[in-house]
Amino acid sequence: MAPHQNPAPDVGDEEEDDYMSMVIEEPQQKETFTQKKRRQQREAEARAKVPSKAERAAQEAERRDAALATSTLNPSNKGFQMMAKLGFKPGQALGKSQGERVSNQKSDSKIGGRAEPLNLVFKEDRGGIGLDTEKKRKFREEAEEAVKKVKQEEGDYRDRVRIERETRRTEAQFHAAQKVAERLDAEAETGDGKTVQTKRGKTPTEHEEEESEDTTSGSNNPQPKVKVKPTSQVNILYRGLVREREEKERSIQARHLLQTSLPSSFFPNPRLPGYDDDPTLEREDKVALDNKPDISTILEQELDEEDPELDEFNALEPSERLARIVQYLRETHHYCFWCKFRYETGEMEGCPGVTEEDHD
Amino acid sequence: MVDRRSDAEDGSRAKRQKMDKTGTDPKDNPYLAHMYADASPNGNEWAADKDSPFAKVKRHQSTAAQAQKIEDGDINPFNGQPYSSKYFSILKTRRDLPVHAQRDEFLQLYQKSQILVFVGETGSGKTTQIPQFVLFDDQPQSQRKMVACTQPRRVAAMSVAQRVAAELDVKLGEEVGYSIRFEDMTSPKTCLKYMTDGMLLREAMNDHNLNRYSTIILDEAHERTMATDVLMGLLKEVVQRRPDLKIIIMSATLDAQKFQRYFNDAPLLAVPGRTHPVEIFYTPEPEQDYVEAAIRTVLQIHATEADGDILLFLTGEEEIEDAARKISLEADEMVREVDAGPLKVYTLYGSLPPHMQQRIFDPAPPPRRPGGRPGRKVIVSTNIAETSLTIDGIVYVVDPGFSKQKIYNPRIRVESLLVSPISKASAQQRAGRAGRTRPGKCFRLYTEGAFKKELIDQTYPEILRSNLSSTVLELKKLGIDDLVHFDLMDPPAPETLMRALEELNYLACLDDDGNLTQLGRLASEFPLDPAVAVMLISSPEFYCSNEILSITALLSVPQVFVRPASQRKRADEMKNLFAHPDGDHLTLLNVYHAFKGQDAQENPKQWCHDHFLSLRSLQSADNVRMQLLRIMEREELEMVSTPFEDKKYYENIRRALCAGFFMQVAKKEAQGKSKYTTIKDNQNVLLHPSTVLSYDADWVVYNEFVLTTKNYIRTVTAVKPEWLIDIAPTYYDITSFPKGEIRSALLRAAERLSRKEKMRSDSSRKR
Repeated sequence: MAPHQNPAPDVGDEEEDDYMSMVIEEPQQKETFTQKKRRQQREAEARAKVPSKAERAAQEAERRDAALATSTLNPSNKGFQMMAKLGFKPGQALGKSQGERVSNQKSDSKIGGRAEPLNLVFKEDRGGIGLDTEKKRKFREEAEEAVKKVKQEEGDYRDRVRIERETRRTEAQFHAAQKVAERLDAEAETGDGKTVQTKRGKTPTEHEEEESEDTTSGSNNPQPKVKVKPTSQVNILYRGLVREREEKERSIQARHLLQTSLPSSFFPNPRLPGYDDDPTLEREDKVALDNKPDISTILEQELDEEDPELDEFNALEPSERLARIVQYLRETHHYCFWCKFRYETGEMEGCPGVTEEDHD
Repeated sequence: MVDRRSDAEDGSRAKRQKMDKTGTDPKDNPYLAHMYADASPNGNEWAADKDSPFAKVKRHQSTAAQAQKIEDGDINPFNGQPYSSKYFSILKTRRDLPVHAQRDEFLQLYQKSQILVFVGETGSGKTTQIPQFVLFDDQPQSQRKMVACTQPRRVAAMSVAQRVAAELDVKLGEEVGYSIRFEDMTSPKTCLKYMTDGMLLREAMNDHNLNRYSTIILDEAHERTMATDVLMGLLKEVVQRRPDLKIIIMSATLDAQKFQRYFNDAPLLAVPGRTHPVEIFYTPEPEQDYVEAAIRTVLQIHATEADGDILLFLTGEEEIEDAARKISLEADEMVREVDAGPLKVYTLYGSLPPHMQQRIFDPAPPPRRPGGRPGRKVIVSTNIAETSLTIDGIVYVVDPGFSKQKIYNPRIRVESLLVSPISKASAQQRAGRAGRTRPGKCFRLYTEGAFKKELIDQTYPEILRSNLSSTVLELKKLGIDDLVHFDLMDPPAPETLMRALEELNYLACLDDDGNLTQLGRLASEFPLDPAVAVMLISSPEFYCSNEILSITALLSVPQVFVRPASQRKRADEMKNLFAHPDGDHLTLLNVYHAFKGQDAQENPKQWCHDHFLSLRSLQSADNVRMQLLRIMEREELEMVSTPFEDKKYYENIRRALCAGFFMQVAKKEAQGKSKYTTIKDNQNVLLHPSTVLSYDADWVVYNEFVLTTKNYIRTVTAVKPEWLIDIAPTYYDITSFPKGEIRSALLRAAERLSRKEKMRSDSSRKR
């Protein structure tokens, strides 16, 4: 039948209303004042919140589905008790004794003594037969694909992150080891009676091909600075470190040069005031700024040179590079990078081993 | 007897009217008729007559030739009258039916075995012919018994009986009659009775061995109605007690092996139907909108296919009317624009008045001009046209694959009609409709893959889709005590049975041991839902049995309010004339009282038309009321009313409603208008927009839980929780309710109730 919509007939029903709205105390007594107040507030809030149609529909469907999915077979149910008296046990189906039915079930085993009631399936649109399945299939396929993709990405991502983290860590260790090696080598050279200045100043003042003349580094520099020699002659194990440092210097110098050469009337004094005093500047920078521009050109030349040996070394896995440098330190200086200790003898008694794991 | 005869000769129509109205003669009671069968032996006299053509034919040894000889005679063996000329012309067409060719084969199997499974496809003639074959061989009249042929539908029982009466050249209601709920069209002479399966079941309740029948034919067994399923279980037991009883199970589909197995490998006879090949087309892709697709397909057929009528299956009245309108509009355009042939659209669904249903048999429209393109008709129908109605001339079937099906779920205790995919068997049946007159085509609006994978093989039998409380009560009355092991073909889920037993226990129809109580026995006498029967039985206690009887009758018939799409406002205004602020049940009562008033009775037709009421429904309610009244009187239930002036008049009725509907109660939620929660099942529901309830009552009883995309309760009336606690204390045992709004509301009500009682007892003590 078509639904009817009626305006409410205006028939008074005061008596009923009175009756229903009669004030009746809550049967549970002993509610403290605050409790009551809180409850009233809660209730008022709940009342004030009118669920939207969608919310209501969702709730409706949810309750229905929940109820439909729950078996009501319950020994406390009177109907169940009557059935139990006739020999019914939960899990059984109704009908003629089981044995006979089984033999009858061959062709249509699905019917015949069903355990579950038929489910209610609501059709809410005019989709044709098979449309839902088709949609579901497509959806499922897409979802599966998406899941697969996500999973793959997820796996990739995790691995990548882990590897990256490890690589970073190894690189940092390698870097530290390079510094150690550089320092130890420098110390060893000093010990050999070579240039004392190497410890002091690092700045290459004038470029000379002879390594010994490669002067000075700031004595207050916390980093031990080696004498400058052509990078190609630096130990391959930490040549990268040296080179990097030099490149950094060069870029700072280049910037400085650029600024000093600015032909602008706005900057009559090409050297910006207070530039030197800038506390953020590194010592090297200061040194560099003090130095004459010619150095840079020399460095530049050198830095621009290809260093296939270094490239090859850098192409190695960081762990390999680390292993090599650790080995180098042990062999050359009896220094264990992991113990952070320089042993007296080549046997390095007391050091658990060559790898980091050995030191755990 | 003389009276009865003269009555009968008035013609069937007059007689039916008369029978409907005759008073309370227990002889007219269909359930008791067998008790009086012996009182009127005249009806069977002719059988013993030596001159009867049957005298020479030995019972259960006859042959087709003998039967044909009798059929070809001059005198009708059933009433001794000479055959009419019409008889012979019908006889000729009967002999052309496919079953006729196998009459001998049938008789041999029938005579040999107690149970026979007969498969005849649509158009084989089984429904009309087999009972006659049986009649000639079984000669039930000689045993003072009858042949019964059950039909799942009332309309089918009536129309087939009419047809067979014509074929046998007897008056309907005499030798050939029918019996359906609330209408018995038989006489003591009746030897072939068409009846609904439900009626046979009711008869079995008072006659466990079905002694009135020598042969029982269960027709359309493939439809697996609830009553047919129960009858099959019952007959399986009866045949053991009654070796003389013969059973024929007739089915239109070929899954008859299932019936054979169920009936201990009974013999099977299959008769081919007279059908033409039907070519089946599937869509390449699933359809986005099956109604649109259906309309498009119909128009395409009209534009491109050779002449022949179209049958389109849709799910319900609204959808059908909507589609029919659209097809009509489009077709008119096609006529104008591309000179297509005229297309006439007819609709067909259950609630359509019979004269409108008849229109589907109108011939297709002629071409608009001589030599023009031929006209065509298209019938847009529910699945009525799938099995029960045969329309000749259909060449094209459009099948979107859906139908509205009843489904019950015991977990939320809701029985509802839902649009669901049909079964493969159903789809085949639909396709078959295209091949009645000549080779046809069936357009399935789904893919072949979907047909194979999505559709279940067979439609679920009704017993799996229904609330069992009525059936359980019937079975109890039938003397079946072990319901757990009752041999049904498809036993339902245990929860369904559990719910039914529980419900009957709450209604006090069954005691805690599952035995039928006095009330239960009484309730089973009424062809009603147990809850409604209980309401009716307890109504005298509330001083309103007259009113409750009227309401019950009105609830048993189709909707009395008519609301045409074009005049909704006017219809609603008219409905409001009858509206009672407390709810729809009382409004129905007002309608009935007005209908029985003098104004209305002067010209009921006009009055109903003016007030947007269905005369048919009201008359039918009147008839139902009368039938129920007879039962009430027979059971000595008092017919009483509270004086209308008494202010308790309506309250008493509302209280009485609680006595039956206390399990169908919803409580208003604290927030939101017209939003309710059902008691115990805790489902969110809305009041159906059709309600006249004029205020947001806290508690309502409802007649129906309508499941659509929204949950509605329909036909509601306001009640008070005190009444519920008072009337159904076990169901409203407050300790059984979980904490929450409903429980506290019940607690408050209980408090009020006890206070009132205290006051009453105090005041009486003072006195």
